[in-house]
Amino acid sequence: MRSLLLLWSLAPLAWQLYTSFVTPEALIQGAGMAAGSFWTLENYRQVWLADPPIWRYLLNSAVVGAATTALTLALAVPCAYGLQRQGGRLRWAVTLTLLATAIFPTVLLFLALLQLARSLGLANNLLALSLPYAALCLPLAVLLLRAAFADLPPELEDAARLEGLNLARRLQHVLLPLLAPSLASTAILVFLFSWNEYPIALTWISRPELQTLPPAIARIAGSSLFTVPYGAFAAATVLGSLPLLLIVLIFQRSIVSGLTQGAIKG
Amino acid sequence: MINAMPVPPSPSPGLRIEGLSRRLGERTLLADLNLEVGPGECLALLGPSGCGKTTTLRLLAGLDAASAGRILLDGDDISRLSAGDRRVAMVFQSYALYPHLSVADNLALGLRIRGMAAREREERIMAVLELLQLVELRLRRPAQLSGGQRQRVALARALLRQPRLVLLDEPMSNLDAQLREELRPELRRLLCGGSQPVVYVTHDQQEAMGMADRIAVLREGRLQQIGSARELYEKPANRFVAAFLGRPAINLLPAEGQRQLGLRPEHLVPVETGGLAARLQQREWWGHQQLLWLESARGDLRMLVAADQPLPETLEVSWRPEHELWFDSHSGERLAAS
Repeated sequence: MRSLLLLWSLAPLAWQLYTSFVTPEALIQGAGMAAGSFWTLENYRQVWLADPPIWRYLLNSAVVGAATTALTLALAVPCAYGLQRQGGRLRWAVTLTLLATAIFPTVLLFLALLQLARSLGLANNLLALSLPYAALCLPLAVLLLRAAFADLPPELEDAARLEGLNLARRLQHVLLPLLAPSLASTAILVFLFSWNEYPIALTWISRPELQTLPPAIARIAGSSLFTVPYGAFAAATVLGSLPLLLIVLIFQRSIVSGLTQGAIKG
Repeated sequence: MINAMPVPPSPSPGLRIEGLSRRLGERTLLADLNLEVGPGECLALLGPSGCGKTTTLRLLAGLDAASAGRILLDGDDISRLSAGDRRVAMVFQSYALYPHLSVADNLALGLRIRGMAAREREERIMAVLELLQLVELRLRRPAQLSGGQRQRVALARALLRQPRLVLLDEPMSNLDAQLREELRPELRRLLCGGSQPVVYVTHDQQEAMGMADRIAVLREGRLQQIGSARELYEKPANRFVAAFLGRPAINLLPAEGQRQLGLRPEHLVPVETGGLAARLQQREWWGHQQLLWLESARGDLRMLVAADQPLPETLEVSWRPEHELWFDSHSGERLAAS
């Protein structure tokens, strides 16, 4: 069962990896060709030497992703805290509203967003992209972090209050360190959203050197109008997945480790 | 309220609570609490869950806001001060140690925030660690400590601040019975008899009797009685206090004139003749004593007798008149002996 699941999720990635390292002819004709014309780095060369080169898009995406994540967390942490600790009767109303916005179909928004970008002069501004991204990620982030705050024993904060820690200090020294796993997983979700987002990135940014990865990959052209550059697509996708892999590997430990363990009873 | 304190001239040392109340919507969590705790005195707040004892503690700590009333500490009104400015230390039932910090860092955090110099900080922490025999454990995280060790760390954190008032919220309820007994004298040694008043919340009457100089019994947000353990046991203000203190619980027999007769199981004695006829239903043998469950014409009785007492199927039970406690069967108030 487990190996079946593994196959299910890894097979497309493996195919992508394979596609990125073979010539277009090999891809179509399959095995039985001479080894010399089978494996190739040509696809990577193509996307790396393109103008602008792929690392430019990777960089753009990373900048937007980092800005989006920072903005989302900066807004979601206070909101989640307030909702959890001071919400009172409004708590459930606000939570349900957030849930409703979280499941609202984004597609319906983006014509209006485009209009907004035009009138506010936000088009072709890389950092401005993180505004709609953060807005779209915020409901989910708040819901996730609210649940995380709810899991922290309230006595921990009481103890800190008695020791004279004000709200900012409590967050800095007690609450956020304990929320690190939840913060990390929320950050990764937000970053992933921003990394993969296509329609807004496509419509807000028209200058090639400012584009993020998804629209840039879509723009990769074949040698003629009638060829589909499978290899180049695959190479770009592989390169685009690497940073995500890296991030997950780095944060894996803090996601998995249960830091609140032992806070109350052993 | 029974045994109300006379009003002394202020400023008086120690803790003084005047008309403290907390209401949440329709619910009254604490109603008009008045009491005093002298310097170095340990007062236990005793009562069943929901009686307002933890509410009182949180009001004293400044963690919740009072609806009415004043809290005076050494004559200063601290009611309006924030929790961090009251210099009140609290040991939580869950200990509330910061799980991501070592023992030493748990202690250091509060002092660091206050801007105490590193050297002074370390000296104070070492002194407290030594006092509580925690020096070897100072680099461990809370998860790596036993329940008793965690409690000592929580205590260390409370003492470190040289508080003007120490509050303990069921500090031993997470420990096993044997450890609790061992820790009681140690807690008393560390906490009581200093300059600061100590308020100790518990639902365990044995702990209250063992720890406290005086006990305040609370029920549904109202103070029932305050006094020494002995006063509460011998002269309970009402049926509730009588039933809450003393194990096995007091026998309550219906009597004429809308009264109830309270008889403690340990005050009943078997007699040859002239007593209340009773039939033995069950017995529990406790080693040093045995508890008998009896059925009599006036109702069921619990009786505590020596472990080696021979027991016939039927026996007669008597008691001394001075051990009788009479209660009004409606109000539950204790009546003068008749």
